[in-house]
This record gives sequence, C-alpha cells and structure tokens, in this order.
Amino acid sequence: MTAPMKVGLVLSGGGAKGAYQVGVLKALRELGTRIDAVSGASIGALNGGVLASSPSLDVAIERLEAVWERLANESPLSMKVPGYLALLAAAGLRVQGAGAVLGLVHSVKKIAGVFEFELPSWLDGLDEGLLDDQPLKQLMDEFLDSKQLATGVPLYVSLYRSNGGLQDLASAFMAELGLGNTPDSEFVHIQSLKEDQRKQALLASAAIPLLFASRKHGEKRYSDGGQGGWQTMQGNTPITPLLEAGCNLVIVTHLSDGSSWSRQRFPEATILEIRPQQSLNRATGLMSGAQDLLGFDVDKIPTWIEQGYRDTLHCVGRVMKAQQSRDELRGAEAALAGIRSENAGADETLADAMARLAKQH
Amino acid sequence: MSEQTPISPGSDICQILTCLPEKFVVDFANGIDVARERQRHMGTRDGFFARLYDGFTGQGDRHQAEINASLTDGVEGALNWLKDLSESLASSNRAIVQVNARVNALKLDVATLVDFSIQSRQTINLLSQRLDERCNALDRNVARIDCLQQAHLHLDDVFGKWGAGHFNMFTLSGRCYAALEELRWGAFGDYCQAASRAERQKQLERLANRAIIQLNKDAGIGQGERIATRERWLARPEHNAFLTDGEDAIRYLGDWTSPQATPFAFAASQMPEELPLHLPRIIAAPRVTEAMISELFLEAS
Repeated sequence: MTAPMKVGLVLSGGGAKGAYQVGVLKALRELGTRIDAVSGASIGALNGGVLASSPSLDVAIERLEAVWERLANESPLSMKVPGYLALLAAAGLRVQGAGAVLGLVHSVKKIAGVFEFELPSWLDGLDEGLLDDQPLKQLMDEFLDSKQLATGVPLYVSLYRSNGGLQDLASAFMAELGLGNTPDSEFVHIQSLKEDQRKQALLASAAIPLLFASRKHGEKRYSDGGQGGWQTMQGNTPITPLLEAGCNLVIVTHLSDGSSWSRQRFPEATILEIRPQQSLNRATGLMSGAQDLLGFDVDKIPTWIEQGYRDTLHCVGRVMKAQQSRDELRGAEAALAGIRSENAGADETLADAMARLAKQH
Repeated sequence: MSEQTPISPGSDICQILTCLPEKFVVDFANGIDVARERQRHMGTRDGFFARLYDGFTGQGDRHQAEINASLTDGVEGALNWLKDLSESLASSNRAIVQVNARVNALKLDVATLVDFSIQSRQTINLLSQRLDERCNALDRNVARIDCLQQAHLHLDDVFGKWGAGHFNMFTLSGRCYAALEELRWGAFGDYCQAASRAERQKQLERLANRAIIQLNKDAGIGQGERIATRERWLARPEHNAFLTDGEDAIRYLGDWTSPQATPFAFAASQMPEELPLHLPRIIAAPRVTEAMISELFLEAS
C-alpha cells in the first residue's frame, strides 16, 4: 500500500454510448481519483482527447458534458443524421462519398413520393446539408486542440491499419464469427506526435470504416482502432499502453453488454472494470445495436451519462468497501502490535516493583 | 443484499480512492460485478438464433470460461482473505491468551499488594497507638517537669525571701512555719500532692535540707546542735523587726493546728503559754524542720 498510485483510465469504443464515459468521469471525480494516463479507442479516443486537452478533470467534465448535451438537446425530429455521426463529423471526419449519398437520398425520396411511401423522419433533412451542425463543430474545434493536448495527461489511442473499408469490414465480420481475427491495433502516444498529427490520430481512431474515410498517419492509412484484435477486443479496450506506462491501477470502462474483453489476459495487472449493471442497449428490434451505436435516439444520452455515474460508484465502491475492511484489519493488527510492545515495558516495570516489594517484605 | 445497496457519493467509502488497493482485493470484489454482468448478458441470449449464433461463434463458451475464471479468482481471493483473517484471528487469540495471562498475573500482584496493604495498615495502626501512648507519656512528663519546675521556682522564691530576711519578724520556728505554709499553698504543695510517694519524699527532703540550712544560719548554731525550745525556737526576735501583725497572721494561718496532732506547728503558730506535752524542750533544727514538714505536708493532707 506504500507504492505511489498511478491510475490509468481505459475508455473503450462504443459509438454514441460514449456518453456513458462522461458519467464515469464524474463519479471518479467524486471519488477523488487522480487520473495519470488515459487510453481510448474510437469514441473513447475522442472523449480522451477532450480530457487530455483540458487543464483539469473538472474542466474536462464540463467540456464533455457540453458536447454530449449539445447532441442530446437536438430534437430527434430535427436531427438530420444519427447523433454519433454528427459528432464525428463535427470533430473533423469527412463522410466518405457524401455526394453519392445525397444523390441516393434524393432518388429514394422521389421514388417514395411517387409511391406515396412514408420515409423515416431523420431522412427528411439530409438534402438540406449533411452534417452541418455548426455549434457542435465549434465546440469540438475548441475542445480538441492540438496545442493543449501536448500539456495534458498522457493519452494513448488505438489505430487500426486499414486495408480498405470493405476489406476491414470483411475481416471484422470473419472475426465476429470466430473464423479468424483482425490484426492487432497499434497504440499511439498522442503527446509524442507532432502537433499537426495529434488530431489526425484521434480522428483516425474514430473513423468508422466505409462511412468515414481512413486517415493517413505516416505512410499508412488508419481507421477505427476498435477493429483490431477483434476477438479479444485488443484494440477497442486499449489497456496495454497504460500498463507499459507503469500504471499500477487501471480502470477499464466498457460500452457494450457482456464485453468479451478479458482481464485474465493481464494476470499481473490490477484492473478495476466498470461494467454496466443493467443493459446499455436502449433501442429494440433487429437493428437495435446499430441504432444505439450510431445514436439514432439522442434523447437517451443523459441516461447513459447517469448510468455511467451510478455503475462507477457501484463497482469502485464495492472494491473500496472491501479495501476499507482490509485496511481496518491491518490498522487493528498494527495497533495490537504497538500495544504489545508497550505492554512488555509495563510488565517489566510491574515485575521489578513487585520484586522490590517482595524483598522488603 | 449489500451488493444491491446503492452507494451514495457522500458515503465514506467514496472518498478514499487515493490509496492503491491490493490486487487480490480488486480481483475479488470487482470479479463479482464482472461475473454478474456476463451472467446477466448470457441470460439475455436465450433466443433460438442467439443461442445458435453464440454456439457457432464460440462467444457463449468464452463468456462461460470468463465467468468460471472470475469465480476461480473469487475463490482464490476468498482463500487469501480467509488465510489473512485466520492469521489475524490467531494473532488476536494469542493476544487474548496473553491478556488473560497478564490479567491473572495482575490479580496475583494485586492480591500481594492487598496483603501488603493490610499488613501495612496494621503496622501503621500499631505505630499510631504506640505513638499516641508515647506522646501522652511525653505530655504527662512535660507537665510533671513543668510542675516540678514551678515547685522549684516556688521553693527558690520562698527561700530567697527567707534568706533576704523577709521572715525575720517571726520566731525561728515561726519562720520555718511561715515558709512551709507558703509552700504548702502554692506550686510546691500542689506538686507534692500530685507526685508519687517517692517523688514527694524526695522533694520534702530537699525542702527539709534547705530549711535546716536556713534555720541553722538564722539560729547561729552548728549542724545537729540542739537549743532550747521556749528560749530560742519560740523566742520573739529582739530587734524591732518583730511585728504583732506578723504574729497574728501566723496564728491565723495555724488555727487548724492542735497540740496533740501537730505540736510543732501548733507551738510555732499559736505561741502558747504552755507548750504541748509532746514537744521536746530542747531540740535541733533538723528535728524542728522534719517534724513540722511531716505535720504540714503529710499529716495535714
């Protein structure tokens, strides 16, 4: 218990459910935890970027709340695209083939008009300008600042070396079926990069294949870091760089129910997982996973923040309660040992006095 | 169940994540949440296609393996904790044994001290009693010495006056009678009355010696020389110092005397024409003195 505490925080990827991590940070602040290093994948990398760009945990939480509340306050009817995609675009990612998508939307709407077929409401505004949420873009420009990143807590992000969008998706699909595995993601220390590369690396980590163009980093192209090491979630839950950085307590947040990431692969590390105590899924139906991932129902964002907060207090609280019992036991043992040595002195003094009394008698 | 109890941000345990927790404690406690979450997730995968999918991809087995590993870790953590607790309990029990042994030893010591205290109290009581007796004896002795001192001073005063000639107005035996009467009614008389027989005898001898010396000196006779009672011992002084008032005073003082019981005192105080039958007609100073002392201090009391 005398070793200096170095706490690492892993922010896993999980699309719009990244709001959960805001609640995690709020709870950690209340617990008085100092965060010494952060790693993230995908949305975790963006959240981590805002955290690392902030001068303090309080400011980071304020900024993250501002971003996620901005998304949450959009009326679902007025949203032109799923919230998560809007967030990525606001951060600077460029939608792949946006022109083609717009043309497709126009065609679909014309055909639907001919046949008097009612389309989903979120498609209504697509032709008026895709992903043009200027206030959100301003927030992300301000909060993801390359200069401020240099002075923040060490930030590591996972990047997946892209072989092209379709190839990447195919690899992930095969890995999901257990017929293979995707190559491991690479981990990049953001502060070690040149100033102009820092934000690019963050965006690359969050670039969903096909939807967003992969980002060039060095001579290679990279996309969403959550794809790497699919079966063990090596890329989506990037704990390795934090352990290599010397963190002796790593707090791991998960953004999926029943995450297959396993602490058993790191037998020497002290890992505290924040797992959801109830389902993170909000949508139902066949495409519910994609809906939650992309944030079709942005009004659910506050519930994820609240859940992250409660789950963290629960999971960390349980550990702390157990550790408190251990500490009390150790304290009592130390007190007992101390009083024993004092007793020896008292015994000696009493024995001496009684011996003198016996001699006089 | 405690694991279902919500933990509020204000509770004590939420203010202490500032010290590194032990790994096995984290694995033990956090493993419960991890296993529960996986179990809950597996519980939701009970549809036909979900079971088929999990079986095909191996995800079901992987989840089960993780739950098993968490449980194993939990049991190992519990074993560690139990081992620590057992060691701590053994240590506490040893401490309790030591405490009991010390309490027993302390009881014995207390019993010894109580015994010592009782003996000390008895000794102190005895000492106090003896000290009281000793103090009382000393007080009595001091009082006796004080009385003796007063008696001696009185004796010195009276014989000082006699020697200085203040009794010269009386007959020789009258002088002795007057001196003895003054001593009898003062400190000297009181002392003789309170003193033991031997002490009284000793003081009366002292008085007799001084009176014999003074009488011999006043009569101008030698040691043991006898002179006539009427002509010398009861003769009025020839010089002018003799006063009738003095004779009256002597007579008044001796009005208790009788010729039979106290012939010497009677003759000296009353100056009778006819001397008592038992009074010798020729007599030495010691006989006058001793007889008169005997009549005043022994027979009169």
